Amino acid sequence: MTKPQKLIAFLLATLAYLAVAPAAAQVPPPAPSVPPPSPLPRVFLDWPGGDIEFLRGEIPFVEFVPSLEAAQVRVAVTPGGPPETGTFVLEFTGFKEFQGETNRLSYVPDPGAKPEDVKRGLAGMVKIGLLRYVAKTPVAKDLSIRFLDQAKPTSVNDKWNFWVFSLSASSFLSGETQYKSGSYYGSFSANRVTPELKVRTSVYGDYSKSRFDFGDGTIYESKSYGYGSSGLVVKSLGEHWSAGAFLSLESSTYSNLKLSLNVGPAIEYDVFPYSQSTKRQLRILYRIGFTAARYREETVYFKTSERLLQESLSWAYEIVRPWGNASVQLQGSHFFHDFSKNRLELEAELSFRIWRGMSFEIDGSYTRIRDQIALSAGGASYEDILLRQKQLATGYDYSFSVGLNFSFGSTRSNVVNPRFGNGGRSISISM
Amino acid sequence: MRRIPGAASALMLSLVLGLGLIPLRAAGQAVVPDVDELKKSAVKVFLDCGDCDLNYIKTEITFVNYVRDRLEAQVHILISTQSTGGGGVEYTLAFIGQNDFKDMKDVQKYFSSKTDTDDDVRRGLVKALKLGLMSFVGRTPIAGRIAVEYTRPEASGSRRDRWNSWVFSLSGDSYFSGEETYMSRMVDGSFSANRVTPASKLRLGFSIDSYEQTYEIEEATITGKMSSWNANGLYVISLGEHWSAGVSVGAESSLYSNIDFGFGVAPAVEYNFFPYSQSTRRQLRALYTLSLNPVKYREETIFGKLRETLLKQDLSLTLDLREKFGTVSLSVEGSNYFNDMSKYRIDTFSIVNLRLYKGLTVYVIGGKSWYHNSQLSLLGREPTYEEQLLRLRELPMNSNYFTAVGFQFQFGSIFTNVINPRFGSSGGGGLSISIH
Repeated sequence: MTKPQKLIAFLLATLAYLAVAPAAAQVPPPAPSVPPPSPLPRVFLDWPGGDIEFLRGEIPFVEFVPSLEAAQVRVAVTPGGPPETGTFVLEFTGFKEFQGETNRLSYVPDPGAKPEDVKRGLAGMVKIGLLRYVAKTPVAKDLSIRFLDQAKPTSVNDKWNFWVFSLSASSFLSGETQYKSGSYYGSFSANRVTPELKVRTSVYGDYSKSRFDFGDGTIYESKSYGYGSSGLVVKSLGEHWSAGAFLSLESSTYSNLKLSLNVGPAIEYDVFPYSQSTKRQLRILYRIGFTAARYREETVYFKTSERLLQESLSWAYEIVRPWGNASVQLQGSHFFHDFSKNRLELEAELSFRIWRGMSFEIDGSYTRIRDQIALSAGGASYEDILLRQKQLATGYDYSFSVGLNFSFGSTRSNVVNPRFGNGGRSISISM
Repeated sequence: MRRIPGAASALMLSLVLGLGLIPLRAAGQAVVPDVDELKKSAVKVFLDCGDCDLNYIKTEITFVNYVRDRLEAQVHILISTQSTGGGGVEYTLAFIGQNDFKDMKDVQKYFSSKTDTDDDVRRGLVKALKLGLMSFVGRTPIAGRIAVEYTRPEASGSRRDRWNSWVFSLSGDSYFSGEETYMSRMVDGSFSANRVTPASKLRLGFSIDSYEQTYEIEEATITGKMSSWNANGLYVISLGEHWSAGVSVGAESSLYSNIDFGFGVAPAVEYNFFPYSQSTRRQLRALYTLSLNPVKYREETIFGKLRETLLKQDLSLTLDLREKFGTVSLSVEGSNYFNDMSKYRIDTFSIVNLRLYKGLTVYVIGGKSWYHNSQLSLLGREPTYEEQLLRLRELPMNSNYFTAVGFQFQFGSIFTNVINPRFGSSGGGGLSISIH
């Protein structure tokens, strides 16, 4: 009786001590992980007869020192290779905090290059070799590296001519004494993506099963499965236009489809050049689709199969900027046989840094649904509804989320302290 | 050839000096290098990063070739992350030379801060990647086409940290979704105050959440609710490169677990077989915790208790590896109650994601737990049919498990340089796993 109380008292006392301790017991302040703004990295140039003044002018972000003792990096330049090529070998050796960091580069002047060009080319190579050291000092933030040309991403020697094939399979099983579930997924894809043409094809299949044991002899089992294939071909027509075609085949117990074929042409216009796609896009996509479907069970419209023509128009805007990012997408579609069978979808997402330390995130979607032509007339069982195993009749669906985060204090602190874990790993698998 | 007089050559030199900041040009103006030819011999890079914006990186850094298999690459860039005391992320970029660049390796770091936007982070990473890549690019002819520019900074003094390493964070989220016959609602809020230095770590946090689902079935409405809150504190001091000691305190309430109010205090000690300084790449940590836990239940438990005080010990062993061949994370944890030694529990967890051979990736993720009469908070009554189907209450069990197993085999073109955003970038049936 008194024993646990004593123990609690002891632990609380320890805790109270520890809670105040961090401020008081902090003997020497821990070594700051960011060193004080140091002068430029010190380099000793070992190049008898080299034009050090020229290098000083070319490479202003290091300090050339006269002795090896003071240096953090030694650069040795020696002639090498066949003499007629005029090749230089550059040896980089790190000292002090750069201990063990070495590199060996070489500079081969172009045949017939003027001495001034050779000098500048050599200085350029010294510069490149020094960057790994400079990158570890505060000077790094004042540097920028630029590629002077535009090279085509397809300028490679590729014997497969950009075709990539991929075979994958995965399974997920979980269970406890009264509950078990398993799902399996497999796919094969063949893709070829070049700036001029995009070809994607795949086949897939999935199966899932779950089992509930209510402990009183009642057992409930549910199963669902689907398979299908898809294909996409897109031809680039300049920086703003693309044209292509879709094809898909699908079978699904969730959607009451025995087999459904959907095929059609499409055209897309991007208001911004496609080359800016990682920064902003405003794409308008128009698509006509022919559908031939056979249903598993008779639908609410008393059909077991039908052939339909459909058109859709979508408008998507995406932007990624230093203040955050935003996207809005609006999509509408209808069937030609009955214009009242239509669907309108709006999706928006915004993540915004209001002020230093305060950020705001909001995303939402709303769909007005008038085209559930595949719904089964038989409806769904009580369990199918609770476990979301069957698509249900609905006139709309929506989701909305909002989040606000406010941080202040030493938010620029770069200290890493891995003790007692940093929170578990998170895994995400996307297919 | 006409000799250049001394004065003229001095003038020329000073001109060159004056132009010190202009990008270096490939020598010999007469020879204009064919860039596309240079690109063919550019460095082959395997970018090993779970959550980088790869499309952005590939559009910003075009002087290398990206390949999809690590063995094909001349440099394997392994990016591992850890959270920083300020709530940001430390990215460690290990540049590992391979094939003909076997002799080269380098490590660069990039720190993002908690309030950085996605664009800030991807730009920072691109810069760190460019700087680190230069040592490799310097060995390929394309190096002549790279310009390095330096802008002299305005003088700025180092700022003192007036917050003394304290970081506070307040956040709230809500999520709603629904259709005609179904509605779900989730709200959570949290507050944290942390102070992390190499010598000690103090974390204080409070969080609360609530979740509600409503189904309409044949005129009836079924509602499922869950809610919980918890408060916790952790203080850890560093005792050298391998040892740490600390204590955690916590209070919680949870509808799912039938806990009305639980309080716990737990001193603990940890040993890391690898030095803590290598933690971004490898850790093997053993943690022993002794906890005292007075608890009050919402409803009478299966053992007929409404309140009790529990004394528990817990030992866990965790291995985390991030290597060129993939990621391995294994952990095993055992605990038992001193009140009744027969009440114990064992948990195991593993993530193994291996790039086995050219194009073949295999992953196994799994966990299994054994409960030996250790679900002390279980409801005394039978949960309702809906509570069971919607998984709103903890159910009695002897063990539970989950496993996910999969593989991917890719062949064909090794290059992944191309970004083609037309008709959207999704789809294709590929599989990607990211582990942070």
